[in-house]
Amino acid sequence: MIRIAAVGDLHYGAGSHDILRPSLQHLPDRADLLLLAGDLTRCGGTEEVRVLADDLRGLPIPMVAVLGNHDYHGDREDEVRRVLEGVGVTVLEGEAVALDIDGARIGIAGTKGFGGGFRGAHASDFGEPEMKAFVSHTKMLSDRLEQVLTDLEADLRIALLHYSPIETTLEGERLEIYPFLGSYLLAQAVDNAGADLILHGHAHHGTEKGRTPAGIPVRNVAQPVIRHAYNVYTLDARRDLMPAAAGGIS
Amino acid sequence: MSERRIDYLPEDIREKLIHDPRVAEQDLRVDVTEHRVMLGGNVATPQLRETITDVARELLPGYEIVNETSVVPASEPDGEEPVA
Repeated sequence: MIRIAAVGDLHYGAGSHDILRPSLQHLPDRADLLLLAGDLTRCGGTEEVRVLADDLRGLPIPMVAVLGNHDYHGDREDEVRRVLEGVGVTVLEGEAVALDIDGARIGIAGTKGFGGGFRGAHASDFGEPEMKAFVSHTKMLSDRLEQVLTDLEADLRIALLHYSPIETTLEGERLEIYPFLGSYLLAQAVDNAGADLILHGHAHHGTEKGRTPAGIPVRNVAQPVIRHAYNVYTLDARRDLMPAAAGGIS
Repeated sequence: MSERRIDYLPEDIREKLIHDPRVAEQDLRVDVTEHRVMLGGNVATPQLRETITDVARELLPGYEIVNETSVVPASEPDGEEPVA
């Protein structure tokens, strides 16, 4: 069994020293890798991410992250990424990484994702340039996610997102903000490519558990939802990969 | 400049809290009655919770600030969940 620790929405600020560190001490005994689902900082500040990097430094398990909207706020996302990479975190945006753990190849494809809404009520890239840009961004990230997941050769495949791919894990949030919390295009991308698990954050008042239309488990690991430093999910690397949805059904 | 209508005050305060770099927290609920501001939502640290009270007091001096935000726990989980 592969043990995956995951959390998102840590929102580290300059005063967040050691928030996570006490709970991370036993993490190497409890998990084989740590996945971070974005919004790691409050404003995307270099000084903020350095505080988190201090807490993560020296953890002897692989760490993989995507950034979230807060991490972009300071327009310094490249610096945020570099600081995390400096302590051994692999940061993904439209990219994938494969890790060999206990004889199994674990593939992780990651993107921040973006909004738009869900089936029957999704925004269209129609009208003003601002609206086109909004929806086109989601489409571009979803297309890229599908491509990297499809190309990812691994025994287990995980999609790591910040924005939600489904509505179920948003339950508890106000309906009015669903279009800003995620997009069904992300779920469609993963269902088309096939995967074993999707992790996301962003929806602090959402629900932990859901599934895509093709049946892939989805977990909202926003810290205010899981109310722990991380949750641990186990996956059997010897089982068959969840097949891709036939004919692009979403 | 005309006095701010109380109808728009909660969203005005919420926006100011989100954009104040000392706070920068979107997960906030703001309700305002005649002389009282009630704050709700989740925050990452006890320090941030105190800061939110201070900033709200700066924004609306003279109002009673009732901060009902909760600090998100960061303890270790009890177990693990098999998902696949």
